[in-house]
Amino acid sequence: MSAATQARLWYLQRISAMILALCVVVHIVTIVYAVRGGLSGVEILARTRGNAVFAAFYVLFVVSAAIHAPIGLARIAEEWLQWRGRWLNGLLLVFALVLVAVGLSAVWGLYGGG
Amino acid sequence: MTVNGVARWTCRTHVSKVAVDGVLELAPLSNLPMIKDLASDMAPFFDKWAGAKGQFKGERSRHDDFASVQPDSVKRKAADAGIECIGCGVCYASCDTVTWRPDYLGPAALNRAWTLVNDERDVAGNERMRAIAGDAGCHACHTHTSCSERCPKGIAPTLGISALKRLTARAAMRGELG
Repeated sequence: MSAATQARLWYLQRISAMILALCVVVHIVTIVYAVRGGLSGVEILARTRGNAVFAAFYVLFVVSAAIHAPIGLARIAEEWLQWRGRWLNGLLLVFALVLVAVGLSAVWGLYGGG
Repeated sequence: MTVNGVARWTCRTHVSKVAVDGVLELAPLSNLPMIKDLASDMAPFFDKWAGAKGQFKGERSRHDDFASVQPDSVKRKAADAGIECIGCGVCYASCDTVTWRPDYLGPAALNRAWTLVNDERDVAGNERMRAIAGDAGCHACHTHTSCSERCPKGIAPTLGISALKRLTARAAMRGELG
């Protein structure tokens, strides 16, 4: 992997970190606010189904996490385990795709009715 | 040398400031090959200065007029902040990232690169940016700030490295690093 690509990945990880920081705050504040008096699964689904703002927010959350986490794991693998190379990059790409798939299926489950 | 577990500029550090209960434990600088006893091989340290394109490259000859550099310009002030490095290796020996990944250029080499990036007379900017970008370059730094804390000259390599990270990453996003 070229130094330029590594620098781009660093940039993407920093940008995704900023987005995640905002998303986590919104996510937690919303949960705390919404469940003050208790909230059932049915009530949650009633609020999330068909809610485009909810879906867009969590799609952004999922995509940011899928970008951020594999880049960080690559750094940990390099520095703590001395793992590097194309096989590791491939493995982490698969991990990123799994995160996207699992995350988006969860979003779809709450938005579309799944 | 390492004194009681901390890298120091030993010849300028008074014993009374670092001795714990009258005891001194001396060791060679960390993160460098040991030659013998308290002597470390500094070759890898200076090789990384060269790797970070730490040599000044100008375009003027002795026949040209002097370059005019404003002492109070932002770039000159940034260069001044890092220019007093004495190459002692204390920052390098204190850096966890160098320990974890020995190919990392380290704080001194990157600080040198930062001073040259801010030198208006230097013309090797793009070449240097390519040399210091990426996982073995400035982007490996975890901002632990041990280098800044222990530098005997009061230099803060962390600041320069952070600026290099942003500078090179933006250049990479614009496709300027190749």
